[in-house]
Amino acid sequence: MRRARWAVPLLLVLPAIVVIAAVVLLPLVVSLYSSFTAYTMIHPASLYRWVGWRNYRRLIEDSGFWWAFGRTVVFLTVALNLELLLGLGLALLIAQVTRGQRLLRTVLMFPMMFSPVLVGFQFNFLLNDNVGLLDNALLQIGAIRQPIPWLVNGATANLSILVAEIWMSTSVFAILLLAGLLAMPHEPVEAARVDGCSAWQSFRYITLPFLMPFVYIAMTIRSLDVGRAFDMVRIMTNGGPAGRTELVWTLMATVGFQDGQMGRANAMAYLSIILSIVFTFYFARKLASARAALGDTA
Amino acid sequence: MRRFATKQGLGAATLIAALLGAVSAPAARAEDPGKFPGYTLKVKLIGGNQYDPLYKRIPEWEKATGAKVEILSSKNGFDLDKELKADLAAGNVRWCAGWDHTSFMAQYGDLYTNLFDLVPKATQDTFIQRTLQSAVIDGKLMLLPWHTDVSDMYFQKSLYADASNQARYKAKYGKDLAPPDTIDDFRNQVEFFAHPPTMYGTVFAGKEEGLNGRFYEMLLSYGGTYLGKDYRPMFNSEAGVKALEFFRDIYAAKAVPAGTINYLWDDIGQSFASGSVALDFDWPGWAAYFNDPKNSKIAGNVGVARAPAGPSGKRLGWSGSHGFSITKACDNKPAAVSFITWMTDYDTNMLEARRGLMPANAKAFDDIIAEVKAKHDDYMTNVFEVWQKSLAEDAYPVPHIAQWIEISNASYPEFQAAILGQKTPKEALDTAAKKATQILEDAGLLKD
Repeated sequence: MRRARWAVPLLLVLPAIVVIAAVVLLPLVVSLYSSFTAYTMIHPASLYRWVGWRNYRRLIEDSGFWWAFGRTVVFLTVALNLELLLGLGLALLIAQVTRGQRLLRTVLMFPMMFSPVLVGFQFNFLLNDNVGLLDNALLQIGAIRQPIPWLVNGATANLSILVAEIWMSTSVFAILLLAGLLAMPHEPVEAARVDGCSAWQSFRYITLPFLMPFVYIAMTIRSLDVGRAFDMVRIMTNGGPAGRTELVWTLMATVGFQDGQMGRANAMAYLSIILSIVFTFYFARKLASARAALGDTA
Repeated sequence: MRRFATKQGLGAATLIAALLGAVSAPAARAEDPGKFPGYTLKVKLIGGNQYDPLYKRIPEWEKATGAKVEILSSKNGFDLDKELKADLAAGNVRWCAGWDHTSFMAQYGDLYTNLFDLVPKATQDTFIQRTLQSAVIDGKLMLLPWHTDVSDMYFQKSLYADASNQARYKAKYGKDLAPPDTIDDFRNQVEFFAHPPTMYGTVFAGKEEGLNGRFYEMLLSYGGTYLGKDYRPMFNSEAGVKALEFFRDIYAAKAVPAGTINYLWDDIGQSFASGSVALDFDWPGWAAYFNDPKNSKIAGNVGVARAPAGPSGKRLGWSGSHGFSITKACDNKPAAVSFITWMTDYDTNMLEARRGLMPANAKAFDDIIAEVKAKHDDYMTNVFEVWQKSLAEDAYPVPHIAQWIEISNASYPEFQAAILGQKTPKEALDTAAKKATQILEDAGLLKD
């Protein structure tokens, strides 16, 4: 009787389980297995050449990989926080607009519509130190005497990539946070105003707590989605020069797809997955606590 | 002969050239393409606007043979390379003919078949033999080339004609100012002409295979060897240090834009076309662009000269050819042979040559020179004559190993570190050689 009660639901979800196993679980298992092999794309038989921990051992000893890993952590942290701040600012400004808000919301989404490859080319052209717009403009107005090689120096190259990424993705935060602001009830803010709260106090103690679930949802989505910046970085510097802007994504793509060393690339991916898990776990916990706090307030 | 009679007209200029006797009997033409009615040939081709004129020949082949061509993929070379590797990895090769390149072909050893067994000798003989030989690995012909590349020197003529430049150069180096014939001349002139930020001596490919390729030809010109006969990396030699020092020195002298370390071919071409670069050691595909006033500020002021030679006497000559190959899995090899022969024949080569690309067909090379001469186009005549000599005497491909791109990716960050002054050339080369050794050991080419 008990078995029969489970059988029907199980039967109903079985197709979903099969599909998920086929499109998620199986590739994960195969890629994990291949990370212990000498798998090279141009020699399919190498998938069966077991090399044990060799790929992982080499990665752990490879300072270049760990620099790329650390740079990716910093890039993620700085980019997401700045995008959040700027996105929040934009959302608050647009929420104040009474006429033409729909048009502004559409304009705001323009950068999101560009493919990262296009953004990469666009910034590459802007920042080219010989024929680029920025250096030529600065030279013309006499602000500099020699062009600045934006994409060569480690600090300016990483900053340039960060600016391009922020330009491309801030609107994601702005749109999500604007949705939160528009969904927010007006009464608490009006009551605070009547009680004599300053604009900052209203924002800090009423608006922001209400927005926090949206913030963490946006953070979670963006932390998983930020990898699409790979195409942009690839066009702008491809991790160079001399590895100065190398991120885990560019390194993996080079090793996996250009070198065809899928075994090693998969080992990199499994080491990097730690990063995704940490970020996702952190934001999921923060989201839960923000929702709980909102519930308590309500 | 029958095909020649049914082809579209060759244009007035060619007819004039023919009347002048420059175009001889069509001995170089391929044989009858055959008939394959109802057959669909599946192909994977390199994509991009620049290849569209070439692909206009596909409907002509369909009409001549009764077959259909289904293009399964049309991506840029690097993306197509990834797709071909993925096909190999998945064992999913259900197509017949595809794009190939001499710099990539060693990776596709299990994908493509030996064309010596399929393509008639008479057809093979129509190609420039040095170019055809560059497509041979272990006695197997991997592709039929449709056009080929080697770099030569573009320069701004006005800089050389300037009396003040001539006098200053003579006083400084004790030589007449003329386009560089040696690598030492090249270095001297690059530094001599540089007045940043308005004028740079040159620009070079500063990353990826581009940098490794440029290092490779410089190494050979200094008398070095990239890989030994047993595949052991040998580029961390004295010649290797000198080759890398060339790039480091002109970078340190600010004779090139600092950003050149991130440049690839488009950036380089655009820089020269902007008029802010004196000398550009570059591919022939840019020749028409540089002399076109719509694109280039230096149109009418561009000269070309053969690549300079190093102390070994060898001229810079890293070369590569686009081409077509046939898969081992192809279910109709005669149709595939007909297709790739058609796409690399005399008419295709003339079509490409009229766009400024260097033909791989020997007769087409002679005929295009006759054609541009008849048009009194001195610039393109010079371009074709200079490149004809380079392709016949100087050009050589990269080492034919499947790991060339992988070694390039491992080496170029080290070369960049040396150019930027982070490491000495010797340190960078030793590290790069160590990485290359590991790659070759993993591939089973090196036993230790």
